[in-house]
Amino acid sequence: MKTIFTVIKKELTDTLRDRKTLISAILLPALAMPLIILGVTKLQKNLMDKEQSKQLKVALIGAPENIVSQFNDSTFLVVDNVVLAGVNDSIENGSIDALLEFDTDFNEKISTLSSGGLKLYYKSTNLLVEKRIREKLDNYKAVVMNDRIKQLNISSETLEPLSVVKIDIASSKEQIGKMIGGFIPYIFIILCFTGCMYPALDLITGEKERGTLETLLTVPASRFKILIGKTITIALVGIAAAIMAIAGMFLSLKFIDDIPQDFLNVINDLLGLKFILMLFAMLIPLSIFFAGLLSAIVVRASSFKEAQSYVTPLTFVIIIPAMIALMPGVELTWQTAWIPILNIALATKEIIAGTIQLSQYLVVVGSLILLAVMAVFFSLKQFSKETMVLK
Amino acid sequence: MINVENITKQYALSKKQRKELQTNSTSVAAVNNVSFICKPGRVFSLLGPNGAGKTSLLRMVSTILKPSSGDIKVDGVSVIDNPQEVRRKIGFLTGSTNLYDRLTPGEIVKYFADLHGMERSLFNERKENLFEQLNINEFSKKRIGQLSTGMKQKVSIARSMIHDPSVVIFDEPTSGLDVITANSIIELIRQCKKDGKTVIFSSHIMSEVDLLCDDLAIIAKGNLIYNDTMDAYRKQSEGKSLTEAFINIVNQNN
Repeated sequence: MKTIFTVIKKELTDTLRDRKTLISAILLPALAMPLIILGVTKLQKNLMDKEQSKQLKVALIGAPENIVSQFNDSTFLVVDNVVLAGVNDSIENGSIDALLEFDTDFNEKISTLSSGGLKLYYKSTNLLVEKRIREKLDNYKAVVMNDRIKQLNISSETLEPLSVVKIDIASSKEQIGKMIGGFIPYIFIILCFTGCMYPALDLITGEKERGTLETLLTVPASRFKILIGKTITIALVGIAAAIMAIAGMFLSLKFIDDIPQDFLNVINDLLGLKFILMLFAMLIPLSIFFAGLLSAIVVRASSFKEAQSYVTPLTFVIIIPAMIALMPGVELTWQTAWIPILNIALATKEIIAGTIQLSQYLVVVGSLILLAVMAVFFSLKQFSKETMVLK
Repeated sequence: MINVENITKQYALSKKQRKELQTNSTSVAAVNNVSFICKPGRVFSLLGPNGAGKTSLLRMVSTILKPSSGDIKVDGVSVIDNPQEVRRKIGFLTGSTNLYDRLTPGEIVKYFADLHGMERSLFNERKENLFEQLNINEFSKKRIGQLSTGMKQKVSIARSMIHDPSVVIFDEPTSGLDVITANSIIELIRQCKKDGKTVIFSSHIMSEVDLLCDDLAIIAKGNLIYNDTMDAYRKQSEGKSLTEAFINIVNQNN
């Protein structure tokens, strides 16, 4: 045990003096959450405000007077002399944002209590255009509906046979948890992996390349203890990255305004002791798994550059299951609880939403511990091979 | 004392290597049935052309590599049966300093002392003596990355000698070093001999061998082709330079 502590102490001192590791394990994770939250809140709000207040240029062909009047305010500009044949170009080049083409019998249909037809030309990639025009048409529709109700002498209920009262039993925490819950573990998993990556490259391949590993093998400490010391150090840096991400999240709440209240409540819940304990019970074996896996892979490389070429594709292998967890309908089940990475992402989603089943959570933690043990065993097998540890 | 008994080291050949070497054999012998003895208080030199198997042999003595067959006993302890105990007895030094750039000399020496399980008081005493002898104190607080090659080599020596090994292994210790730094290694070898340690070193430089050695072995293509005292080797050279004699022996056995 003393040997393992000696190795960890030395490796941590060495690693924490490495600028690359400090950037990937401390600085980047600490900044990731504030930047994401800032992006999600401030940037989105600014964009929406800008789109909402932007004057929309609309062309109206064959529109009745009472529809034209709907667009007579400062947020809209009715553009004349637009030819229907060139509508696509006009929208593409920005001379108009949308065009409304009314059927020739539109007025007649409205007056005979039928549906008046119109076509809306717009570009869905231009945010809010369709929504803002629909609001104007809905105003017109409400006026027509009122007229018809009076004309037919019927009550408004006649036209609304269903009166649905929606009672959503999902708490706002659950709704937001399901919505953003997949994204938060995705960030933790990626940061944990990148946090482990540089120390693994430096403590295994770097030592091999510099020849220090050969010298280390001449001391009366077993290779197993040396490897365990290195693996724990790599995993600790991965965990440090996750801790920094949480610290970043905490700082975001303190210093960023304009965070929606529901979102703020969910993040406040995340910073509770229960969530942090449950998250770290999964992140610790996950970090050891990453450390073992990375050690086993990078020990095969004879240079830092070669090791990087092995590890970079592995990033995608980690990202894919984490991304699957973001897809709607992918839930934590007895089967998905065994799939590494995906299971931690899904379990975190359920914890955030408050819908996690303890038995499934225990399976996730158990499977991660099993995986961590297998990865360390695999790395030990590689580390025991003479051809692997020598240049 | 190092007792090398019929040692053989074979490396497995990959398909690519078999193709390059144009052989069907699945392995190649880097060291082939080699035996010799290195005695305490004497300097034993291992000579041989590049790829002769010197480094493989020294790596087996220092337990980094496992022999395919045969055994090596270091002060009576087998590298196969008890490699950990052997490691307590050896110090290993190469020409490349093999140090950690972000640590200080003090931290490195302490790390290796801890891995050798040294008592704190003994460590402090040894460290003080070594740092004074090697003039490390003046740069002991600087990180290795900021030191010159000569300074690094001094730290490397301190690291190898901190646990006071009875057997010291030098693998081409002066290769690539300037004259002043190389001289500090030569002085160290002399000191080890004076202290009654067993010293084995591999080298390409015949002048160093002439200066330091008591016993000599030459290996070529993994085979031991000469093993005698330095005096006997000088006598056998019969007026030729030591380098010429070395080339003759290697060529005769080719």
